[in-house]
Amino acid sequence: MTTSQQQAGDPLIIGGKTLSSRFFLGTGRYPNPYVQNEAIRVSEAEVLTFAIRRINLEEPEDDAILHHLSFKPFTYLPNTSGASNADEAIRIARMARASGLSDWIKVEISANERTLLPDPLETLKATEVLAAEGFTVLPYTSDDPILCKRLEEAGAAAVMPGGAPIGTGLGILNPYNIGLIVEEAGVPIIIDAGLGSAADVVQAMELGVDGVLMNTPVAKAVDPVRMAQAMKLAIEAGRLSYLSGRIPKKRYATASSEYEALKVK
Amino acid sequence: MGKHILILGGGVIGLSTAFACAQRGHRVTVLEQGRCGGQASGAAAGMLAPFSENGEGPDDFFRLCLASLQLYPAWQQTVKEVSGRTFEYSHTGSLNVVYHESDRLALAGRAAWQERFGAQPQIVEGADLHRLEPALSPAVHAALYHPDESHIYAPDYVLALEEACRKSGVQIVDHLGSVRVIASPDHRACAVDKKGVTYEGDCLVVCNGAWAGELQEALGLQIPVYPIRGQICAYELPAPGSVRHMVFGSQGYVVPKANGTLVCGASEDVAGFDTAVTERGIQRLLNWNHRLYPFLEELEPYHRWAGLRPATQDGYPLLGRLSQQPAILMAAGHYRNGILLSPVTGQAVADLIDDRTPQVSLARFALERFTRQPVR
Ligand SMILES: Cc1cc2nc3c(=O)[nH]c(=O)nc-3n(C[C@H](O)[C@H](O)[C@H](O)COP(=O)(O)OP(=O)(O)OC[C@H]3O[C@@H](n4cnc5c(N)ncnc54)[C@H](O)[C@@H]3O)c2cc1C
Repeated sequence: MTTSQQQAGDPLIIGGKTLSSRFFLGTGRYPNPYVQNEAIRVSEAEVLTFAIRRINLEEPEDDAILHHLSFKPFTYLPNTSGASNADEAIRIARMARASGLSDWIKVEISANERTLLPDPLETLKATEVLAAEGFTVLPYTSDDPILCKRLEEAGAAAVMPGGAPIGTGLGILNPYNIGLIVEEAGVPIIIDAGLGSAADVVQAMELGVDGVLMNTPVAKAVDPVRMAQAMKLAIEAGRLSYLSGRIPKKRYATASSEYEALKVK
Repeated sequence: MGKHILILGGGVIGLSTAFACAQRGHRVTVLEQGRCGGQASGAAAGMLAPFSENGEGPDDFFRLCLASLQLYPAWQQTVKEVSGRTFEYSHTGSLNVVYHESDRLALAGRAAWQERFGAQPQIVEGADLHRLEPALSPAVHAALYHPDESHIYAPDYVLALEEACRKSGVQIVDHLGSVRVIASPDHRACAVDKKGVTYEGDCLVVCNGAWAGELQEALGLQIPVYPIRGQICAYELPAPGSVRHMVFGSQGYVVPKANGTLVCGASEDVAGFDTAVTERGIQRLLNWNHRLYPFLEELEPYHRWAGLRPATQDGYPLLGRLSQQPAILMAAGHYRNGILLSPVTGQAVADLIDDRTPQVSLARFALERFTRQPVR
C-alpha cells in the first residue's frame, strides 16, 4: 500500500487543505543545501517551516534557503521563532503574509533563551488575533491539555504541543498529557519539538496525534537523508498501528497457537 | 628519522599539511592534478570567523575552529618568514547583523555561550552600532560584535604557503591530472598519476577537497563529500575604509580588504562540479547586499568568481587515520571553513604522523563514521 492510498481513507486536513503527508519538516540547521534538499525529498513532507526573521522577505524567491526549494510545490509554514511576546509575533506574521509567502503561520513565542519553552499566555493572545485576521494559525505550545483546548477555541487550525524543549531529543516527556490532548481535540494535533529518534515518532503517532513536526533530529543526524526516511516510515508505521488497535497488555504469556490445536491426535 | 609523506591535493589543506610536516623534518611530496590553490582555496573570502560560522553551540567543530584561530598569529608569521612573501592579515572584528526585534533572543543566546570561550561578544545597537560601523543601513536593528575575528587575503596566503613549502624542501608535482591511490605491498602508501607514474611513501594524506568522494572504492570507505559551489564578487570601494568590519547577515557577508576592495559572498549552489559563474547567482548577492550597505545599490562588482566547497554529509570534516590502512590519512571536507582550519589541520595531521596526540579531539571527525556496515 502506498502512502497516498493510506491517506485516501485517512486524510489530514488543516485549514481546509488536504495534506499529502503527516510529516512537517523544518529547514534549519542542515549541514548544507544538498543534504537539505535530499532530506526534504525523501521525507515526502509537504509542509515546511522556517524562521521568518531569517528570510529575505523582500525577495523570498531569492532567499538563501528558500531558493533551493523550487523542486516541488510546498505549503510554507513560516514561524515567528525569536518573538518574545504576542505583539512581535503578530508583527512578523503580518510581514510574512504581506510578502506573499503564505497565510499559514506557526506562532512560536519564547521568553527564555535557555529552554525556549513557549510562553502560553502570549501564544494564546497571538493566536486569537491572527486567527481573527484570517491566518491559518498553528501555535507551538506546551503540552497542557487545557491550554491546547483554549488555543483551539481561539481559532487555531491545528495545535502543536511540544514533546520536550526544542532540539533536546528527549522524546515525549509527558505521554499522559499528549493522550489527553488528543482525546479532547476538535482540530488536528501535531507534535512539535523535542523528538530524537524514530521510536519517539512512533510513540507520538500511537498516542493518536495527527502529525509530527521535526527539524533537529533530521538535520543533525550523521545521515540526515536516511534519518528523514526513517522518520517518514515511523510516522506511517505509528499511524497504521494507532488506527489498527493494539492488543491489550497481559501479565502472562498466551500461546499464539492454542495447546489443544497442537496436540497430536 | 623523517618519513616520506605523499600529499594528494595542493589546496590550502594539502599545502598546510605539507608545510607542517616539512617543519617537523619529514620529506614531503605534493601531488596536484591542476595548479596549487587553483580550486576552492584560491576562491575563498579568507574569513577567520569561528564565532560567526558557529551560531548554534560549542561542539567539537567549533572547538577545532577556535583552536585554529588561536594558532593563526604564529602560523601566518612562520609562513611569511619561511616564504619571504607577505599577505594581508587583518583584525577587523566582525558584526553579525539582524533586522528584527525577534532576533534579539537568538543573539543573546549566542553571546551567552560564546562568552565562555573568551570571545567577549557584545550586542550593539543604535548610536553605538552607528559609531562602530557608520555606513551600515539604518534598517539594521542590532548586531553581535566579535572583536577577535579576523581575515586574510586567501589567494596571497595560498601563494605564500606554496612558496613556504618549496623553501622547506617540499617537492610539488602539479598538472598531473587525477591521481589515484593504489594498493601498496608492505603497508606503504602508493599513488599513480594519469601517465602511469607511481609515487611511493611511508604514508599518504588525502587532501583533495570536493573530489574526495572519488577515492571511495580505493579506500574501501563511504566518503559522502559533495561540491557546493560558492559564487562571490568584489567591488572597488569609492571610499576605501568606509566598511570597517566583516559583516554577516542571514543571506551572506561582506569583507573589506586592505587593497580597498569589498568582497561579497557567497551563494551555496548544488551544481555538481560546475565552477561557472551564473547571472542569477551573482544577482542574488546584489539583491540583498544593499540592505547591509545602501551605497552598494549604485555599484557594480568589478570581479566575479566561484569555487567548490567540499561539504560532507554531517557538516564535519573527515580528519584522521584510516584504521584499515594505517599508511593512509585524510583531511578533507572543510566546507565553509578550510582557510580558517588550515593551521589546525596541518598540525593535527603532523601529530598523527608523528604518533603524537593532537591538541584537539578528532573523534567526531573519524573517517569511518559514514561506513557503518550492517551486521550479517
Ligand atoms: C566562495 C567561497 C568562499 C569561501 N570563504 C571562506 C572563508 O572566508 N573562510 C574559510 O575558512 N573558508 C572559506 N571557504 C572554504 C574554503 O575555500 C575551503 O574549505 C578550502 O579551500 C578547502 O581546501 P581544500 O584544500 O580541501 O580544497 P581545494 O582548495 O579545492 O583543493 C583541493 C585540491 O585537490 C586537487 N585534486 C582533486 N582531486 C585530485 C586528484 N585526484 N589528484 C590530485 N589532485 C587532486 C584539486 O585540483 C585542488 O587543487 C570559501 C569557499 C568558497 C568557494
